[in-house]
Amino acid sequence: DSWGIFTFLCAALCNLPALPALNCSEELGASQSIQQTYDLTRYLEHQLRTLAGTYLNYLGPPFNEPDFNPPRLARAERVPSATVDLDLWRGLTDNARLTANYRAYSRLLCYLRVLDGQVGTAELRHRLAHFCASLQGLVLSIGGVMSSLGYPLPAGPAGPPAGPPEAPPAPNDFLKKMDDFWLLKELQTWLWRSAKDFNRLKKKVPPAVVTLRLEARGF
Amino acid sequence: FPVSLAADPAVISPQDPTLLIGSSLVATCTVSPDFPLKAEDLYWTLNGRRLPAASYAALGPSTLSVALARLNGSRQQSGDNLVCHSRDGGILAGSCLYVGLPPEKPVNITCWSKNMKDLTCKWAPGTEGETFLHTNYTLKYKLRWYGRDNTCQEYHTAGPYSCHIPKDLALFTPYEIWVEASNRLGVAVSDVVMLDILDVVTTDPPSDVHVSRVGDLEDQLSVRWSSPPALKDFLFQAKYQIQYRVEDSSEWKVVDDVGNQTSCRLAGLRPGTVYFVQVRCNPFGIYGSKKAGIWSDWSNPTAASTPRSERGAGGCDPKGGEQNTTLRRELKQFFGWVKKHAYGCSNLGIKLYDQWRVWLQKSHKTRNQVGKEP
Repeated sequence: DSWGIFTFLCAALCNLPALPALNCSEELGASQSIQQTYDLTRYLEHQLRTLAGTYLNYLGPPFNEPDFNPPRLARAERVPSATVDLDLWRGLTDNARLTANYRAYSRLLCYLRVLDGQVGTAELRHRLAHFCASLQGLVLSIGGVMSSLGYPLPAGPAGPPAGPPEAPPAPNDFLKKMDDFWLLKELQTWLWRSAKDFNRLKKKVPPAVVTLRLEARGF
Repeated sequence: FPVSLAADPAVISPQDPTLLIGSSLVATCTVSPDFPLKAEDLYWTLNGRRLPAASYAALGPSTLSVALARLNGSRQQSGDNLVCHSRDGGILAGSCLYVGLPPEKPVNITCWSKNMKDLTCKWAPGTEGETFLHTNYTLKYKLRWYGRDNTCQEYHTAGPYSCHIPKDLALFTPYEIWVEASNRLGVAVSDVVMLDILDVVTTDPPSDVHVSRVGDLEDQLSVRWSSPPALKDFLFQAKYQIQYRVEDSSEWKVVDDVGNQTSCRLAGLRPGTVYFVQVRCNPFGIYGSKKAGIWSDWSNPTAASTPRSERGAGGCDPKGGEQNTTLRRELKQFFGWVKKHAYGCSNLGIKLYDQWRVWLQKSHKTRNQVGKEP
């Protein structure tokens, strides 16, 4: 009798002290948010490919060459780097993982918005505006995940602040092109990394357990 | 991953210059004293392509120059990338070259005002078009006999070379309007256009366009509409135009002489056919303007179908049937018209004609029979 089995499992699970004391709807909300955020990073990754292609063509060769790898000057480090030691990354708590993502995309959004104001062609401006809107959506989505898991949002500029903080403008046009190149590169690396971050989080908040409990309750 | 550097490894001069097409340039790359590189360890690329060593010259132990002759217009508007490299390919410094032409005078300025509330103007860049440099356009306007220049703020509303002035426009005094084009190499100003807002008024398409059949008439449709609401009280001399086409054709027929009525009858149409009809309005003579206004957009197409042509009465009188149905149709139209316009002829109708034809057949048979009587 399947209902009998469900009831038994429910009783067994309810007795487990190790389960987090979250009510059903919160857990369901979190796992859905995580899935949505994951999907959003994949979508943005796809959008970025087109945007970067167009933008790098606007910058001209060698910026649009596939193997282009310029030096990363000290000034370019204002853009938060996604690259991190593997063990360090594995050991991140959920809160730390989410905070890193939230902070990175908030900053990247700022820099992208500045770019939007300076760029030459109408087509580029249009694409950039569209991408910024999607990126803003990602920041909000990450914030949503953090809230549903009970973590506080990181302090500091989350919305559109006046401009990028401690960042002097590039002293010449060529260095500015390099800054733009690295901005797009970091954005790409972050989106790759975020997909893995959210995949990891998905596994930690499995929907399967929640569904079971809900069905048992409904019965 | 790439090494992070604290200071700029080298300096290029000139940094980000602007040049006329065809000009020549000598650029120098000077390595910073902190770096153990000599002039012979360097090379140049332009837009990713290595420049020939023959054009290089060492001007000092750590300074290498390159000579570029007869430069073409910039490959991209963000500037050509002139880069100084170390022997292993690493980038030491770069300079963006902006090579192009000064802008040409913008031409063909045309403007229109929607319901006298705003003004939109568009223009074309000067004849050459391609200047290789990013060109900024500014539309300016001022009232003819008053001082201040105003600058239009909302660009690209009707295409890439357009601007929209949303408010604070005066009527009855002409405006002077011109466009300034500027890029890194200079400025060009268009000729000044003078216009009165009232002479370039356009409006919305007519509203409530209805197309309906005219009774049973197979070749006519009646079109009715309302004058555009925004200028409803001013359109005494407005003109209208109708265009219509058969459903599966792309050829529009235009009815031009509609005048300022708000209804019209289309005739000579095919029976049993679906027609698409559109109407547009020209606010001619608004506020006493002597000029024609600007035609509005066409209204959304409205569809209607003409009634199917009647079949001949089954079986009887097959001989010369085709001629009879055409004649019958025409007579029907005639009687319909007569009923409308001639008050005393209410007895006339297609029924009367049918009765006459029946009588004609009977009398024909009788005459024949009489003839055959032995």
